Amino acid sequence: MAAWDLSVIVEDLGPDALPVTLSVMSDLHIGGVILKLVEKTQMKRDWSDHALWWEQKQQWLLRTAWSLEKYGIHADARLLFMPQHKPLKLGLPNGITLRLQVSFSSPVFQTVMEICRMLNIRHPEELSLLQPVEEKKKKKDKDVAPEIYDLTEVPLSSVSRPCLYNGMPAHFADSAEMEAIYKMLSVTQPPPAPEAIAKQYRPASVVDKAHINGRWLDSSRCLMQQGIQKDDKLWLRFKYFAFYDIDPKYDVVRLTQLYEQARWAILLEDIDCTEEEMMLFGALQYHISKVSQSEPQMLTTSAAMDDLESALQSLEVKMEGESSSASELLENITAPELNDYLKIFRPKRLTLKGYKQYWFKFQDTSISYFKSKEESIGEPIQQINLKGCEVAPDVNVAAQKFLIRLRIPAPEGMNEVYLRCENEQQYAEWMAACRLASKGKSRVDSSYKSEIQNIRSFLAMQKTNSGSHGNAPASDESINTHSLVSPRYHKKYKPKQLAPRILDAYQNVAHLSLTEAVMHFLRTWQALPDFGLSYVVVRFKGSRKDEVLGIAQNRLIRIDLGVGDVVKTWRYNNMKQWNVNWDIRQMAIEFEGNVNIAFSCVTADCKIVHEFIGGYIFMSTRSREKSDTLNEELFYKLTGGHEAL
Amino acid sequence: MVDIDAMFSDLLGEMDLLTQSLEQEVAPPKSLPALPSADKEVNFSIGFSDLNESLGELEDNDLDALMADLMADLNATEEKLAAEIEELKVPSLPPANLPAPKNLSIHPASSITSPPSASPAGSSSTLASSSLPPPPPQSVKPTTEEMEAQMKADKIKLALEKLKEAKVKKLVVKVMMNDGSSKTLMVDERQNVREVLDNMFEKTHCDCNVDWSLCETNPELQLERAFEDHENLVDLLSTWMRDSENKVLFQERKEKNEVFKNPQNFYLWKKDKKALKDIKDKDKGLLIQENFCGTSIIVPDLEGILHLKEDGKKSWKQRLFQLRASGIYYVPKGKTKSSRDLVCFVQFDNVNVYYSKDYKSKYKAPTDFCFVLKHPQIQKESQYIKYLCCDDAWTLNLWVTGIRIAKYGVALHENFKTAEQKAATSSAWANRSTSSSSNSSTPSPTIKAKSSSQANGIFPKPGPAPQDFGDLPPPPPLAANILPPPPPEPGLPPPPPPPPPQAAKGSAKPAPPKRQMPANFPPPPTAMDNLPPPPPPPPIDNSEAPPDFLPPPPPASGFGSFPPPPPLNSLPPPPRPGGFGGMDQSLPPPPPDPEFLPPPPPPPQAVFTGGGAPPPPPPPPPPPAAAAPSTAIPRVGLRPAGSLKKLPPAPPKRTTPSMQGSGGGGGGDFMSELMLAMQKKRGDHPPAVLASGT
Repeated sequence: MAAWDLSVIVEDLGPDALPVTLSVMSDLHIGGVILKLVEKTQMKRDWSDHALWWEQKQQWLLRTAWSLEKYGIHADARLLFMPQHKPLKLGLPNGITLRLQVSFSSPVFQTVMEICRMLNIRHPEELSLLQPVEEKKKKKDKDVAPEIYDLTEVPLSSVSRPCLYNGMPAHFADSAEMEAIYKMLSVTQPPPAPEAIAKQYRPASVVDKAHINGRWLDSSRCLMQQGIQKDDKLWLRFKYFAFYDIDPKYDVVRLTQLYEQARWAILLEDIDCTEEEMMLFGALQYHISKVSQSEPQMLTTSAAMDDLESALQSLEVKMEGESSSASELLENITAPELNDYLKIFRPKRLTLKGYKQYWFKFQDTSISYFKSKEESIGEPIQQINLKGCEVAPDVNVAAQKFLIRLRIPAPEGMNEVYLRCENEQQYAEWMAACRLASKGKSRVDSSYKSEIQNIRSFLAMQKTNSGSHGNAPASDESINTHSLVSPRYHKKYKPKQLAPRILDAYQNVAHLSLTEAVMHFLRTWQALPDFGLSYVVVRFKGSRKDEVLGIAQNRLIRIDLGVGDVVKTWRYNNMKQWNVNWDIRQMAIEFEGNVNIAFSCVTADCKIVHEFIGGYIFMSTRSREKSDTLNEELFYKLTGGHEAL
Repeated sequence: MVDIDAMFSDLLGEMDLLTQSLEQEVAPPKSLPALPSADKEVNFSIGFSDLNESLGELEDNDLDALMADLMADLNATEEKLAAEIEELKVPSLPPANLPAPKNLSIHPASSITSPPSASPAGSSSTLASSSLPPPPPQSVKPTTEEMEAQMKADKIKLALEKLKEAKVKKLVVKVMMNDGSSKTLMVDERQNVREVLDNMFEKTHCDCNVDWSLCETNPELQLERAFEDHENLVDLLSTWMRDSENKVLFQERKEKNEVFKNPQNFYLWKKDKKALKDIKDKDKGLLIQENFCGTSIIVPDLEGILHLKEDGKKSWKQRLFQLRASGIYYVPKGKTKSSRDLVCFVQFDNVNVYYSKDYKSKYKAPTDFCFVLKHPQIQKESQYIKYLCCDDAWTLNLWVTGIRIAKYGVALHENFKTAEQKAATSSAWANRSTSSSSNSSTPSPTIKAKSSSQANGIFPKPGPAPQDFGDLPPPPPLAANILPPPPPEPGLPPPPPPPPPQAAKGSAKPAPPKRQMPANFPPPPTAMDNLPPPPPPPPIDNSEAPPDFLPPPPPASGFGSFPPPPPLNSLPPPPRPGGFGGMDQSLPPPPPDPEFLPPPPPPPQAVFTGGGAPPPPPPPPPPPAAAAPSTAIPRVGLRPAGSLKKLPPAPPKRTTPSMQGSGGGGGGDFMSELMLAMQKKRGDHPPAVLASGT
């Protein structure tokens, strides 16, 4: 057997270095080639992560026992000798960018697992990598390069990492910087500036939404094979909307990132919702950002710690209670009096009288009014029980209009009553009392003070935002309400018009803890009719026009682009088999009852569609096997196509 | 503080015990009278009223019995009273015996009529009798017959006290049955509909399937809706007007849980109906899994043209509506169906969904398949009521169910699972024996027992039973399981509602019936025979003694607690019943405290008058007052018995004697109402009763 020259480019020698030439024989195995190579470079370093990459074939030569002959390598092969792990910029759902070392040689599925292990995200199979959408206005913002958080120093590990008591992986405890990064991962970001939302790409149609799905990487091939280079940027996103076993105790980062992805999906109208739903999402965002600012540790602390804390707190309260005298106790139990002159108006009575002033008294969940303060000892003119009533604000700070609209249910219908307050303070107190009373709580309730605070901060929003179109960056006291809703509503409403609407929705969620609020947000998101649909433009066999295929956790839907309607639904549980004809790039699916469909994919490779369907079927198998280990093989089998394995 | 709490809880426990014993004793007598007059009772009861009765503490059956008794002829009561008095004077063995038998008889009856419903005491007694050597209990009773009357009085007082303490609001609710008859039961404010349903299961002999529902009807608006099992009945009824014509119905409603039986009809409604029919069970399960078991509940994607009655107009206008988790929306004219263009029609926070009746003629609706969304407090026509009309019954059901899913979410599924469990256990029991069913019911009570006991003090029996077991350990449980026989129930139809307190009064009367009953149940008689020997147990110290035993019971007692499904499923339940029986037996004895004897008779009345009334009953004057109140009773609208809100300091002691004397004031309302009701029914007898009492 004759020796021949094999030239190998060694990346570590620098971009301009000449290839190293080795004299080899065809039966030399890859391990031997590497050995020779290392000897020849005379560099002393750890080569353990290095491997040969065959450029023409786009293939790693990872089987060191295979001979050159077996690989079919000849003298014309362009081989590169380089590390398998390279730094990659990773855009997270919350918008921050990390730089970390990832494997460029293992299938993307494994790479994602590796990343998720480092970031402490459970169930990595639900996530994947995709090519980012180019940013819109590159020129203007060039100077403000987004900060990149470097995690490349974190040692790689193939086993799950130990976590500290608070759920933070140990490797984030190394330095203050690392801890700061972990906080980025695990704490929700403040609401973005409205311009930031407006600047981002927003899909305008279902076809636009379909394009994003053409960007997913192939899970069964490695990054190198998909043209990803060192220091390229990729996005890490939840791809399969089948979130398995979410546990706030262990899923701090996962929940946070999921929330961020959902939030952006809402803000960018990636998923449609109604105005009422948007207001609720806005209210939840407001609440979440407020709570996470005031107690940033909440999500990161474990449930046990929470319990301990609350236990300690209640202990404190007890001690206080016991130390205080009986009279003090009484004071605490009895709500301070709330009496004042207010103006009342009953719109239902067709009088022109307008507002009339009375002396109002708030007791328990009722308000009573009297002709004057002096007569307040006697019988009230009327007493209104607010339990079960609807309370709506009608406020214009600039015009000094502070109106509380009450709709009080009665057997005959709803009685409408407006109460007019003189100023902010009065309004906030009465409004808070009305809101609590409508829920059957009196002002003794601990939430009274915070309710007042909430109302005031929403009033503050109206103030700061009136006039300017919300250029002020979000500060903790006043959040620009435009930061909480999609740009569509920026045009429709001024910030101060939005404030009362969001406040309205906020009433119902203000009591939630951070975790509960995040979960509420996610649940509401998941309850949207279009949730979990990934669109692809396809052309059905025999059809001449493009249509959209929506892929969800449990079904495929066919959407007619002309009508915009779902014309057909197929459920996976009726699916007998699906095949890909890789030559003509066509998917064929057979359902029970002799239903056969076939289509070619327009906006995404059919491999992506194939992987989506196979992936969802894989996700549905998870519940059965409770073990923590992923059945990787099954995943490849379901998603890989003929090339895999 | 701790000490005080402990003392307080002790007091409560004691009261429970006492009430239990009272109930037991009382129940029997009541049952006797009740049987005869059962039908009358039905007529008597009005929609429902809130009585702050000590009755609250009684079991449903007992309550029924009570009502029945009330209904029963005054004469009878008078006679009874007289008899009682006599008995009291001279602790005659026979009377004592009678009571015991009565209990036994009652139990059987109850079990027979409504296996599940069987009053705890009754069931327990039956079990006990059958399984356990009946003698002991009986024996006890005889000795304490006299005591019984007193005990009853005491119990009533205690009950009243408890009520005050618990500050629990209670309503006496008349539930209409499909056949036009009705059942009356006491519902306390912490009970949800599921618990009340379980009580109904015990009272009726229905099959306990998952379709049974409590429904409300509003004749004025021609609306009806099935309450959801997790809803709180007292809260729901509190929205009715005082003079409401609304009714509570107990009926099977297929649509209630249809979505869990045939989810495809709701989640795949667009598919052709034949395909839906052929769907496999596995796929149904999958649909439920997907839509109800994920992190988020998925609402069926309903969309369609409905007719909307325009505000204040007679016309109906078509609109394209869409159901979403967040509410019902419609597509405004000239807009697309895209989410962002939808206009919100209604959100579900403050409205309930109702089925309508006959809206074609009432409102000129295009069809009779209409549903209504309104705030629960709205009871009359109003512009705030939203009327929608569907083309057919299928669509109507889709929408109403869809709205329920959107509004109640996972609670619906939980309700269904609980109902399913209940149905499974009861059917299992039914197979074994009717008695078993009753047992099953009892177990649940035990679970909640504590709470219930405190509040209601109603089911004390369960608690005691366990203890009794201690005494009679093995037998009871086994007996229950084994002794399905107790079923004597079969023989006894539903009527058996036992007469409550009155029974006590008229103990004399009850006796005979009891005996008869016993006849049916071999065991009881035996018990009677045996009576002599074992009897001693409870006698003198019963009041105190019972407490000791009782403590445990409370758990069991948990009124509404029937839910305890888990136990139900498993065989365990039967044993418990047996336990109960034991309990009963053991308990009975205590009541008879001699000391009380004399007072009892009068007390009852006094109790009634005063007892019911929480704070300052309206027209509570003792006996006489009762008569007057009669008029009031009829109304029965919703009256929150509950003036009881505030915590009463120390409930009263269990020593009722004193209570009896003065007690009237406290419970007066309830008692007076009862008395009134009785008077009404009977006519003018009340005085006699009073007289006897006083």
